[in-house]
Amino acid sequence: MRAEDVRVCVLRMEGTNCEDEMALAFEMVGAKAEKVHIKQLSGSAPAAMRRDLEDYDILAFPGGFSAGDYIRAGAIFAARLKSQVGPQLRAFVEAEKPVLGICNGFQILVELGLLPAMDDAMSPVPTAALYNNDSGRFECRPSLLRCDSRGKCVFARDIPNGKVLTIPSAHAEGKLMSMDPDFVAELEDNDQIVFRYVAPEGDAVYPWNPNGSPSDIAGICNPAGNVMGMMPHPERVLTRFTHPDWTRGYDSEEGDGLAVFRSVMDHLIG
Amino acid sequence: MSADRLMRRRDAPYSLYDIDILSADDDELKQLSSEMGLSLSLEEMKAIAEYFSKEGRVPTDVELQSLGQAWSEHCCYKSSKNILKQFVFALDHPDILSRGDAGVMAFDDDYGYALRIESHNHPSAIEPYGGAATGIGGILRDVICMGAQPIGLVDPLCFGPPDTEEEIPAGIKHPRYLMNGVVSGIRDYGNRMGIPTVSGGFFFDDRYTGNCLVNVGCLGIVKRKDLALNYAGGPGEVMILIGGRTGRDGIHGVTFASADLTSTSDEDSRGAVQLGDPITKEPTLHACLEVNEKGLITGMKDLGGGGLSCVVGEMALDAGCGADVDLDRVPLKEEGLAPWEIWVSESQERMMVTCKPENVDAILEIFDMWDVLATPIARTTDVPRTRLFWKGEKIFDMDLEFLTGGPVYDRPYVLPEVSGKAGEEFPRLPSDREVILSLLSDPNVASKEWAIRQYDHEVRAGTVIKPMVGRMNMTGPGDATVLMPVPGRWKGLAAAVGCNPWFCAEDPYRGGKAGIDEACRNIAATGARPHAFTDCLNFGNPEKPERLGEFREAVRGLGDICMALGLPIPSGNVSLYNEAPGGKFILPTPMILGTGLIDDVRKAVSADFKEDGNLIYMIGETKDEMGASLLFRRYGGKGGEVPDSDPEQLKERIDRLLKAMDAGCVRACHDCSDGGMAVAVAEMCISGGIGAEVSLEAMGAMDDRRKMYSESCSRWIAEVPMPRSKEFESFLGSQARLIGKVGGDSLRIAGEDIPVDELRRAWSDPIWDIMGGKA
Repeated sequence: MRAEDVRVCVLRMEGTNCEDEMALAFEMVGAKAEKVHIKQLSGSAPAAMRRDLEDYDILAFPGGFSAGDYIRAGAIFAARLKSQVGPQLRAFVEAEKPVLGICNGFQILVELGLLPAMDDAMSPVPTAALYNNDSGRFECRPSLLRCDSRGKCVFARDIPNGKVLTIPSAHAEGKLMSMDPDFVAELEDNDQIVFRYVAPEGDAVYPWNPNGSPSDIAGICNPAGNVMGMMPHPERVLTRFTHPDWTRGYDSEEGDGLAVFRSVMDHLIG
Repeated sequence: MSADRLMRRRDAPYSLYDIDILSADDDELKQLSSEMGLSLSLEEMKAIAEYFSKEGRVPTDVELQSLGQAWSEHCCYKSSKNILKQFVFALDHPDILSRGDAGVMAFDDDYGYALRIESHNHPSAIEPYGGAATGIGGILRDVICMGAQPIGLVDPLCFGPPDTEEEIPAGIKHPRYLMNGVVSGIRDYGNRMGIPTVSGGFFFDDRYTGNCLVNVGCLGIVKRKDLALNYAGGPGEVMILIGGRTGRDGIHGVTFASADLTSTSDEDSRGAVQLGDPITKEPTLHACLEVNEKGLITGMKDLGGGGLSCVVGEMALDAGCGADVDLDRVPLKEEGLAPWEIWVSESQERMMVTCKPENVDAILEIFDMWDVLATPIARTTDVPRTRLFWKGEKIFDMDLEFLTGGPVYDRPYVLPEVSGKAGEEFPRLPSDREVILSLLSDPNVASKEWAIRQYDHEVRAGTVIKPMVGRMNMTGPGDATVLMPVPGRWKGLAAAVGCNPWFCAEDPYRGGKAGIDEACRNIAATGARPHAFTDCLNFGNPEKPERLGEFREAVRGLGDICMALGLPIPSGNVSLYNEAPGGKFILPTPMILGTGLIDDVRKAVSADFKEDGNLIYMIGETKDEMGASLLFRRYGGKGGEVPDSDPEQLKERIDRLLKAMDAGCVRACHDCSDGGMAVAVAEMCISGGIGAEVSLEAMGAMDDRRKMYSESCSRWIAEVPMPRSKEFESFLGSQARLIGKVGGDSLRIAGEDIPVDELRRAWSDPIWDIMGGKA
C-alpha cells in the first residue's frame, strides 16, 4: 500500500471540534483524510454524501465535546454510532484496521467498548471510564508522555520505548478508572499501556499528571494493538512552533506529535 | 396612573394591541414607554407619535416595541455617534477589507482576518454564567457572518476585588461569585465550540463591584474570495432564519443594556438574559461557512441585540430594499408568544442569510445535513418599508429610514480635571523588597493561571506564543498571544489587550492613548508589528455631563494616537450606562484589542529570561509619571503626571526593536506596564526560572523609586546574548540602555536580593488563594 492510497475517516458529529487538525496530521504524513459526519455513515445523509466505513483504512475520532458531553463524555456519540453502524465498526476493528481516539475520541472508544477490550474486540458494555480530573476542572496544560509500548501498538511503532514526548493536554475527564482491581496489571501484562505522564524529575505528581489517572496512564491500546486512545493531543504539536517552550531552544522543526501519525502510516505501508 | 386606556386589543386569535399614542398626553407617553419597557424618552415618544400621525393611524405594540429596540443606545449609538465620528470613524487604512459586523483586515494576499470586541456587561452582572456564555456566542456570530472561521477568543474582564470583605449592596452579587460564573461561562462555551481563548485580562477595582464588565473579543480568518456581506443582494431575495428556536429568553436585552442597573435588576431583568447552546451553534458555524463558500448566499448577519427586529431591517436597508416578513413562520420554543415577543426576542444561536430564490433548496439541504433548523421567513422588496404579516394579516408597516435611523444627540459634557505633578503626594514606602513582592501579589498583576488553564487556549493547533510563557508548568506572564492561522504558512497573527482604567480615571485623554500604547507594546514584544485595533468603550451614564466628558476625552485620545500611528479601528462597540445601583459609576474603560502581524512565527519572541550571562536592556525612556500607578494605588500616593504616550517615539522604538528581533538579537522581551520596570524584570525572572542583576544608574538622574515603579509608556525590557550586544545596540541606538545581566537565582536590584522562588510565590498564589482549587 502506498501512503497516498491510505484513506482516513475523521469522524465527527455536533460538538466534535478537533477534526481540522486531526485531518491535517494525517495529511502531513501523506494519507488522504476525509472529515465524515456520523450521518454519512448511517445512511441518513443525501445519497451523494453517503459513505461506507469499509472503504477506509484508518478511523479517527477527534477531540471536542460531542453532543456537549452533557450526559457523560463521549456517551452520546458512542451510543449513536453503535446503534447505527455497530456491526460495520466491529468488522473494521476485527480486520485489525487502525482506530485512533484522541481526548473526546478516547472517551468515545471507551464508551464503545473498543478500549480496553480485554475480553472481546468490542465489549457489549463499557469496562472502564474516564472520570473527572482530580482537580475537578478542565485543565489545558503541557504534559510529558513517556512511550511505554513494548511494540504492540501500531500508533507507537516508530516511537522507542522510554522516549519522552511533549504533548499538551486539554480535558476535564481524563482519569482512567475500572472496577477491576487488577486493571493496571492486566493492561501492563498485555502491553496495552502506550503512554504514561512523566515529570522532568521524580514522580508525575499534579500538574504533570493532570487528571490523577492511576499509574499515570495517558493512553492505552486494545490487546491487538490496532485501537489506541489517548487524552493528550498529538495533533496539536505537528510542528515545533506550537510546543509550549520552543522559544527556549529546539533541535528539530518537527513537532513531537507527528510520530504517532507516522507510526501508523509506516505500519500500513510496511 | 396607567396607560391602559390607550391599549386596544385587536380581535384576533393571537395577542396584538393597537396603541393610541396620538391621543396621549406627555405623562401618558412617559407611562407607556415605561410600562412597555421601551426605555424611550418623552421627546422620542413624541417623534414617534408625529410619525404615526403622518401615517394617519395608530401603531401596534409590535411597532412600538421595534422602535424601542432600534432607538436604544445599544443599537443606534445615539449619545456616542457624533463623538466617534469626530475622532475615530475617519481613521482609514489600505488594509481594511471590510467594516461589517466585524472588521476585516488583510492578512496576506489570499486571506483576511476578522476582529471585533463587544460587551456583555449587564447580563453578566445578573447571571454571570449565562451572560458570559452568550457573550461568547454573540461575538462568534459577528465573526462567522463575515464568512470567517473564528480562530481565537479574547476576554478582558473587570470585577470588584474578589477578596473583598465589605458588605455588598442589595441587588449586587459578590465579585468572587461573578468572576467564577463568568470564567465558567466563557470556558464552557468557548471550549465546546472548539475556539481557543487565547488572551484576555482581569482588572480589579471596587468601582467595578456594582457593575462588572465582560468584554468578549474574537478573531477569525477568511479567504478574501469568501468575504461575506452583511446585507441582501437586492429585492426579490429570500431571508432564511438559521439555528435556534425563538423563545421568551432575551426579551428587552438591548433596552436593559441601555439603562443603569438598579437594585431590583436581578428580579426585573432576568428574562433579558439569553440562554446559550454551543452544541446548536457548533454545527451552525460549519453550515453557515459552507453555504457561504459555495456561493449560495448573498448576505449573512447574526441575530444579536434586538433580534429579528434589528436584523431584518438592517439587511434590507443596507441593500436599498424593504422586507415582507411572515412572522408566524418563525420556529418557536413554546407556543403562545405574542408577535411583538417573537419580533424582539434575543434568543441565541440564530443567524439570517439572504439568497436568490433558486438557491433556497440547496441551502436548506446543507442545513438539514447538519441538523440545523433553517426556515425561509421573509422576502426582500423594492419598497423601503418593513412589513410584518401574521397568517396574512398585516401587523406592522413602517418606513425603514425612520425605524432604523434613530435619534442622534449632542449631549452636554464637562471636561474632567486631570491629575498633575503639582498635587503629587509620593507615598511612604517599606523596603523595595517588600514593595516588589507586594506589587507582584496585587490581583491586577498576580498570575491568572486559575482562569487561563480552564480555557482551552490550544485547540485548532495554531497557538505559537501562548498566554503563559516560559518553563513547562512553571510559566510566567506573556505579552501578546501569537497564532498561526493558516496551516502550512508561517505567517502569524498576534493579539493583545491594552487598557489602563486607572489612568483613564485620572486623565481620560492620556488614558485612552495609553491603552493603544500598551496593546502595541504587547504585540511588538513578541516580534509582531501592530496592525489594527478593535475597541469596546465601557463608560457610565452619558446623560451625566461628567461621564460623557470622560468618554469624549478617552475617544479623542484613541483617535489621536491611532491617527499618528497610521493604524485603524475597523470595528468596535460602545457600552454606556455602566453604573451600579445608587449611581456608583465604573472606571472609564476603553478596552482595546490590538492585532499585529509577523511574517515568520519561527522568529517570535517570548518574555521569559533564557540564559545565564545574557544582557538586559531597557528600551525607552522612564519619566516622572507616577500618576495612577500601581505603586500609588497600593500605597496611597496621590496626584502625579499620568503617563503620556508619544506616538512618534512609540513608532520609532517598535521599528528598531522589530529589526533587532528579525535579526535574531533578542532572546526575550517584555513590556513595562503595571508596577513599572521592577515588576517587568521580576516577571521575566519568574517565567525564566533564573535571576537577574539590575543597575538603575543607566536610567538617568531621577530617584530610584521613580525609575523602578514609574509606568511611563513605550518601554520594554529585552534580553540580548553578549555576542549580539553590539548589533542590538546599533539597531536600537539611543533608545536602549544596558541595565543588567541575567543570572543567579535571585533578583538583585536597589540593594535588595530577592530569591526567584519568593518572587514566584508572591505572584503565583494570590488568585488561587482567593478562588480556591490550588494543587
